[in-house]
Amino acid sequence: MNIKRSPWKGSLLLLLVSNLLLCQSVTPLPICPGGAVRCQVTLRDLFDRAVVLSHYIHNLSSEMFSEFDKRYTQGRGFISKAINSCHTSSLATPEDKEQAQQISQKDFVSLIVSILRSWNEPLYHLVTEVRSMQEAPEAILSKAIEIEEQTKRLLEGMELILSQVHPETKENEIYSVWSGLPSLQMADEESRLFAYYNLLHCLRRDSHKIDNYLKLLKCRIIHDNNC
Amino acid sequence: MDLWQLLLTLALAGSSDAFSGRETTAAILSRVSQSLLSVNPDLNTNSSKKPKFTKCRSPELETFSCHWTDAVHHGLKSPGPIQLFYTRRNPQEETQEWKECPDYVSAGENSCYFNSSFTSIWIPYCIKLTSNGGTVDEKCFSVNQIVQPDPPIALNWTLLNISLTGVHADIRVRWEAPLSADIQKGWMALEYELQYKEVNETQWKMMDPILSTSVPLYSLRVDKEYEVRVRSKQQKSENYGEFSEVLYVKLPQMNQFTCEEDFYFPWLLIIIFGISGLTVMLFVFLFSKQQRIKMLILPPVPVPKIKGIDPDLLKEGKLEEVNTILAIHDSYKPEFHSDDSWVEFIELDIEDPDEKTEGSDTDRLLSSDHEKSRSNLGVKDGDSGRTSCYEPDMLETDFNVNDIHDGTSEVVQPQRLKGEADLLCLDQKNQNNSPYHDACPAIHQPSVIQAEKNKLQPLLTDGAESTHQAAHIQLSNPSSLANIDFYAQVSDITPAGSVVLSPGQKNKAGMSQCDMHPEVVSLCQANFIMDNAYFCEADAKKCIPVTPHIKVESHTEPSFNQEDIYITTESLTTTAGRPGTAEHIPGSEMPVPDYTSIHIVQSPQGLILNATALPLPDKEFLSSCGYVSTDQLNKIMP
Repeated sequence: MNIKRSPWKGSLLLLLVSNLLLCQSVTPLPICPGGAVRCQVTLRDLFDRAVVLSHYIHNLSSEMFSEFDKRYTQGRGFISKAINSCHTSSLATPEDKEQAQQISQKDFVSLIVSILRSWNEPLYHLVTEVRSMQEAPEAILSKAIEIEEQTKRLLEGMELILSQVHPETKENEIYSVWSGLPSLQMADEESRLFAYYNLLHCLRRDSHKIDNYLKLLKCRIIHDNNC
Repeated sequence: MDLWQLLLTLALAGSSDAFSGRETTAAILSRVSQSLLSVNPDLNTNSSKKPKFTKCRSPELETFSCHWTDAVHHGLKSPGPIQLFYTRRNPQEETQEWKECPDYVSAGENSCYFNSSFTSIWIPYCIKLTSNGGTVDEKCFSVNQIVQPDPPIALNWTLLNISLTGVHADIRVRWEAPLSADIQKGWMALEYELQYKEVNETQWKMMDPILSTSVPLYSLRVDKEYEVRVRSKQQKSENYGEFSEVLYVKLPQMNQFTCEEDFYFPWLLIIIFGISGLTVMLFVFLFSKQQRIKMLILPPVPVPKIKGIDPDLLKEGKLEEVNTILAIHDSYKPEFHSDDSWVEFIELDIEDPDEKTEGSDTDRLLSSDHEKSRSNLGVKDGDSGRTSCYEPDMLETDFNVNDIHDGTSEVVQPQRLKGEADLLCLDQKNQNNSPYHDACPAIHQPSVIQAEKNKLQPLLTDGAESTHQAAHIQLSNPSSLANIDFYAQVSDITPAGSVVLSPGQKNKAGMSQCDMHPEVVSLCQANFIMDNAYFCEADAKKCIPVTPHIKVESHTEPSFNQEDIYITTESLTTTAGRPGTAEHIPGSEMPVPDYTSIHIVQSPQGLILNATALPLPDKEFLSSCGYVSTDQLNKIMP
């Protein structure tokens, strides 16, 4: 997958696709003017928009993963090798409904924020690496760029929600460090493909987690467990 | 494959039975069966396939179960118990330990049920089936990928309204989410798909997925019964769950008089009748004797009409006959000039020789006779006027034209001819440039030809070459083009193969050198022949005034009367202007009409077209096959 691409073509395409994707009704989370004591946006709106974003991100990552799998790694049996080696596994995320119900609201929101933060760097590197591939697949690259963009917005929104749900939270920068960049750049194609597969698989899984958690939280906080 | 082997075995057994006794048969059978068994060991134990996982499913994202196919026991030995082992790839658990299924019962036969304590959602599971200690199947997945919700429950419908006619009605169908899916807490979000059909139909009609639990159905017929079913799936996944139970909808009939609202407009009948009627009318018109109507519908295509010429002759390509006829119709000549409307449409691009990259038709005609140039003419020239003059297949010349010049060069050059271009062989000047094979000394290549020269191999040997060259050069010679007639009648063809232009024109040299007039004439004539009577003046001019040595037949009349009808006005006028001016003016441009009649009688002059020796202004007078504008004509005319 070492293919050089014309930077202009790529950036133009990126611009176009970003515009197209952004024009889909994904409303950005509102950013309160810095330091405003009282945000205009209600928590309900924040959650609604967060759920929309997370749903969108999960769709994108599912599509990206299946496209990648179909194109590069079909039939290689990576699934059995893709054991739980996601870098976010170190975070104590609830693994089923009971655990999710036992966790407190603010811890839950903080957890979601941590997961989102952990994905900042991997997404950035994913975009860079895919873009620099020789025959960079446009579909995958555009989705990766979009996911990176929307994840940033979701993170901003979640931080807003956190500040509303738990105003006393001090800034905690807990997140998992991702160290998979060398594996993405390995010379051996099999290992490199496996690294990509793993990364995209983890991204799909984590986006599903975040989507589920947010829906849970929304029903719990906004609708009082009566969605 | 097994079946085939079995059949083969049986066939063998049967055949062997015929030959030998039963003992042999049994031996053969046993041997075959053993070989078969060795090929397919399963044949021994069970004839069916190995047990495989059919489906793993989680209905509510809290538990899941896996099912497999039952092992069919046909074999001789009893199969060992099938076991399922699973492992959870947990980062906390370092070891990959296979544990046995916790519940073989709850989900039915050949299944394994994992309750919520054994289920973790985003953790990969791997399961394997074992039989007699050997793994028969293995599978890995995550629980969030195998979600298939239960079917919706409590379907019911309510009537919304009935149409005024009582034929159609709208209803609303409602249902509830499956109980197992925890919608309240937001753990699962479902979307639904409804399908309905009439009772006696086979195809279900599908509606788009919806998120809500009720949907209206519009425009159902009151007199029919409907079936409705719904299924659900998790919003982001792909797999739908099972369908719910079918809901029967029987609408109340308000009145017994059900009028037939549906009126199916007989489009098909109308279309069929319309088409047949139109066809009949068309045929009537076509085959009727009513010429008027026929002409209205199918106006006849005008065939080319040449006075006195039967179009069929032209079609058949009998040039000689055409020429003869043309020669005969000398009397038609006068009718052609003076008020020849062609003059109006003749354009001469004198001003911009550079523009014309393709030389006029005339030029090309008279210019080097490589077919290429000509053919280029025909091929390349996009001008409307020009191409008509030249047809590639007619432009073959028997000159030993060096076909080195490929297209472009040749024709173009005539355009760029500047300066005096003497008639070939008239000047006795050597045409250094003439790309064409002729290097008639008299020929004075125009610059155009010079240009060509680069591309063309100078065929000119010594200038002793053809008059053709000269003729061509003449063509390219702007001045020479001035008075070139568009058409010259070819009255005869000499045995040498040269063309005799009417009236009484001398043979135009063929490929001969300038000194050899007849050859020159024949050259030109041959050229002209190729042109199939569509000579541009330039060509004719070239050929005609080739050399002063050309012996010209006795063509006396300077008049154009004997020329064929294809004499353009200019040629006529030029001819009239200089009757009997057989001589070319050395150094002066000798516009050679394309189709001037070779009246040149003066034998020492050889073939001189009547229209020659018209002193042309210094401009290039490139007539594209006779397109000379009136102004230019006037300028040219003395």
